[in-house]
Amino acid sequence: METVTLRPFSLADADAMMTWASDPVVTAFMTWDPYTSREPLLAFISDTVLPHPWFRAICLDAGGAPVGAVSVTPTDDRCRAELGVVVARAHWGKGVATAALKRAVAAVFGDLDGVERVEALVDGENAASQRALEKAGFTREAVLRSYCMVKDRLRDMVVYSFISTDPLVK
Amino acid sequence: MKKEKQVDRPAATGPSAVNVTLRRFELSDVEAMMAWASDPQVAAFCRWDPYESTAPLLAYLRDTVLPHPWFRAICLPGDGENGRPVGAISVMPAGDPKRAELGYVLARAHWGKGVATAAVKRTVATVFSEVPGLERVEALVDVANPASQRVLEKAGFTREAVLRKYCFIKGKVKDRVMFSFIDTDPLVE
Repeated sequence: METVTLRPFSLADADAMMTWASDPVVTAFMTWDPYTSREPLLAFISDTVLPHPWFRAICLDAGGAPVGAVSVTPTDDRCRAELGVVVARAHWGKGVATAALKRAVAAVFGDLDGVERVEALVDGENAASQRALEKAGFTREAVLRSYCMVKDRLRDMVVYSFISTDPLVK
Repeated sequence: MKKEKQVDRPAATGPSAVNVTLRRFELSDVEAMMAWASDPQVAAFCRWDPYESTAPLLAYLRDTVLPHPWFRAICLPGDGENGRPVGAISVMPAGDPKRAELGYVLARAHWGKGVATAAVKRTVATVFSEVPGLERVEALVDVANPASQRVLEKAGFTREAVLRKYCFIKGKVKDRVMFSFIDTDPLVE
């Protein structure tokens, strides 16, 4: 089982980020398309990642380059935030996402004032992500039918949640 | 020239069910709206606080309700086409072009008679053809509001989940029950 550390991103992480952000297999279930050049990714880091209230690089060792990202984004409701996680394909199947999720829920309720619910919406067919959330202690609450469009297809989405009083999984 | 009201045909909802008409609001409906909008028992499960005067309600009617793509007055038969509304029902876009959120409110004098159920049935029978691209109508109901949950169940909605600590309303974090009706679900007579 991997141990991971979470740290803030910097522009210097762009090349490492490109590894997963340009990979169509990684982005298959994402709402966004793979990046094909550096400039838009740098813009994403500057405009979205750096000012974001909770966006973390997933690192396998403290000094190393990131192998993925986990973010928790507040919604219009101050008690609720949405989690997203992405890991480079070379590090799939080793528990990296699960470890990152465990670290995220251990930290985020203290970091984001007023947030009591972290939720994740996962494609109905994304079994790997569903397992990672379950192993990290999230509760599978529902399948939301015909919930949203992802890459021109109407998808059922499974909603998982971790609330502030849920027990942390070691 | 007098403006024509757009009126839907009344819903035929079964032998003992209530017939309602859904029509667009007009500014002249503000007094009728006050009947529910000023009632603390009606407002209890809503995000808004009871209105204390008609001026802010008129502003809400003018600025939010009238320009809204799908916000309807619930009227009962017998009052004719110019009947006073007894409630409101709306379908609001919800963050994806395929999805919208249903909301409804009814004056307390008309609770417990099947009026809300009839209005919701009428809405899901028409809204998918009226809003381009819409595939899913969802409703979030307080876990402590069983009457509203029954309305949705009787209207053919699917109860999908309890979403824990979902929203912050009037100073409290609340659990909500998520219901949905998708385009291909069967209409309930």
